[in-house]
Amino acid sequence: MSDTDEIVITVRNLKVGYGETVILQNINFKVREGEVFVILGGSGSGKSTLLKNIIGLYTPLEGEVWIEGGNLVAAMDDERRRLLKTFGVAYQNGALFGSMSVLENVRLPLDELSTLPEPLKELVALAKLKLVGLAAAAQKLPSELSGGMQKRAAIARAMALDPRILFLDEPSAGLDPVTSADLDLLIKELASRFGITFVIVTHELSSIYEIADRVIMLDTQARTIIAEGQPADLRDHSADPGVRRFFNRQPDAVASGLHL
Amino acid sequence: MNGESSPSDLDLDLQFGPPGYARVALRGWLTAQTTVNCWDRLQQDLRDRKLEKLEVDASGLQICGEAGLALLRYLNMGRLTPGASVSVTGLEAGLEQSFREFTREDYEAFRPPTRAKCHPVPEEVGGVVRQAAWDLRQQIDFLGSVTRSLLPTLLKRKRMRWTEVRSVFETAGANAVPIVSLVSILVGMIIAFEAAQPLAQFGAQIFIANMIGLVMVRELGPLLAAVLLAGRSGSAFAAEIGTMKVNEELDALQTLGLDPIRFLAIQRITAAILLTPLLTFYASFVGIVGGVLVALGLGLPLSLIFHQLASALNLSDVFFGTAKGVVFGAIVAAVGCCRGLQTQEGPSAVGVSTTRAVVTSIVLIVIADAIFSILYFVLKR
Repeated sequence: MSDTDEIVITVRNLKVGYGETVILQNINFKVREGEVFVILGGSGSGKSTLLKNIIGLYTPLEGEVWIEGGNLVAAMDDERRRLLKTFGVAYQNGALFGSMSVLENVRLPLDELSTLPEPLKELVALAKLKLVGLAAAAQKLPSELSGGMQKRAAIARAMALDPRILFLDEPSAGLDPVTSADLDLLIKELASRFGITFVIVTHELSSIYEIADRVIMLDTQARTIIAEGQPADLRDHSADPGVRRFFNRQPDAVASGLHL
Repeated sequence: MNGESSPSDLDLDLQFGPPGYARVALRGWLTAQTTVNCWDRLQQDLRDRKLEKLEVDASGLQICGEAGLALLRYLNMGRLTPGASVSVTGLEAGLEQSFREFTREDYEAFRPPTRAKCHPVPEEVGGVVRQAAWDLRQQIDFLGSVTRSLLPTLLKRKRMRWTEVRSVFETAGANAVPIVSLVSILVGMIIAFEAAQPLAQFGAQIFIANMIGLVMVRELGPLLAAVLLAGRSGSAFAAEIGTMKVNEELDALQTLGLDPIRFLAIQRITAAILLTPLLTFYASFVGIVGGVLVALGLGLPLSLIFHQLASALNLSDVFFGTAKGVVFGAIVAAVGCCRGLQTQEGPSAVGVSTTRAVVTSIVLIVIADAIFSILYFVLKR
């Protein structure tokens, strides 16, 4: 990854919160094309809130989010719809529609947002399912899938319209280590083969070391980004002891109230 | 990548050679948008041709998205040219890998869902009866548990959790006052309007007051209060407890050694038993006010209206209406809690429980009302 790579996401002076309550402020970062970019932080640090502000579910209190050449915060109507089509999102619990089969879930964006002929929609959806290893589960209902399969199906649905950017919220949450490692492999393969840019919210350290090109770390007290870089660098060389502690999985004895 | 191309550029060159032979050359961007145009063109030109061989040259493609790959796969599987042997060549290495990864076998292994088998009628009837018997048993079990827990819980101040009762009293009772007022006053006015004309034919318009008084106090007041309670609060009880069950909160209660019925249902039932008579009394009063307003509008004097109301109603009517309120309140709360506790697994489970709570409550309220009417008739005889 070099500085000449195309920037696909620019977050500028973002301030997020609810009403008067500010959760994060002075959030600035850029994501390059094809990179796996991880947003991490402790529980309650505002990772998921930041993600929801970036993808346009919440409106930030201040700042700009530029995706594929458009400011999603200020975009209205047609421009907003265009920008929303440039990325896909897979939510923490899959958020698959329970009354539809897995194939119907993946077909849904194609049915609603594309003019492709019916046979091609089906082929695209099946190919996406094959790509994530779920072709055999096409006719199953989401409730019949395991947690890992649901997340794969959610990724397939997020990729249905061939977005260049995928946002994943806690993809490894609640998965066993083997399933989690399988998912990491899938993310790496999608990034390397198809050049998809990933923005992933997680605090699973094993996944971060495996997949992340670059990370930013949020902090509850500072309410902003306290570290940015490659995970191994931050683990070994960060000037902030809190960051080193996080990457080395060392407990904060003072915060936990334990006398170690 | 050719800098002069744009996403809308796709050059499709279709040539027909010797009989039964065709060649398609694609150049430019095969995106979702251009794939649609390409599909239309190929459909139109190849549909009526009997081809034996079709060659697709994709070497000129600069960009090919998943939609484009789907089109190439569709062509390659011979779906657009049945009977013809098709070859797709010239794809760039990465695309070639993606193209070959999804095979004809993958497509054919996929089968559209078979229709649900239709069960024979006796089997269907048996299933429904079994389900109804199971449901009845569950309700009897629940009723037994509530009866067993009610008195011991009421007697022990700490176990009762009166703050919870007060909270339910507020949300299900006090917060329901505006909607009960609106519905009751309108129903009172509607009945008065509907009765005015037929009674006027007999010069008996003043009996509007008698009618409104009796109907609201003995029938509609309790019914309106109970139906609104079922819609607002019975459903809420089922949804709350159902969500708790889905979130394993009920399991947590049980493993803590706490009985969910004592911990959750008794408070709601007690609150409903206490608040429904008040709501009933209020609904009856507001309904009468609505009727009186219409009667005044028709020119009847207020003193005469009051006189007629006083002569039509007696204390036993008010008592009977209030007694109905107690029973209806118990029914709504008990059914709401029971349905909530019966919540199954799955995303629609809470919705199903909520619907069942409202439907069962209304059916049982009407049945109880019919029993009350018969009882009143027998007692008055």
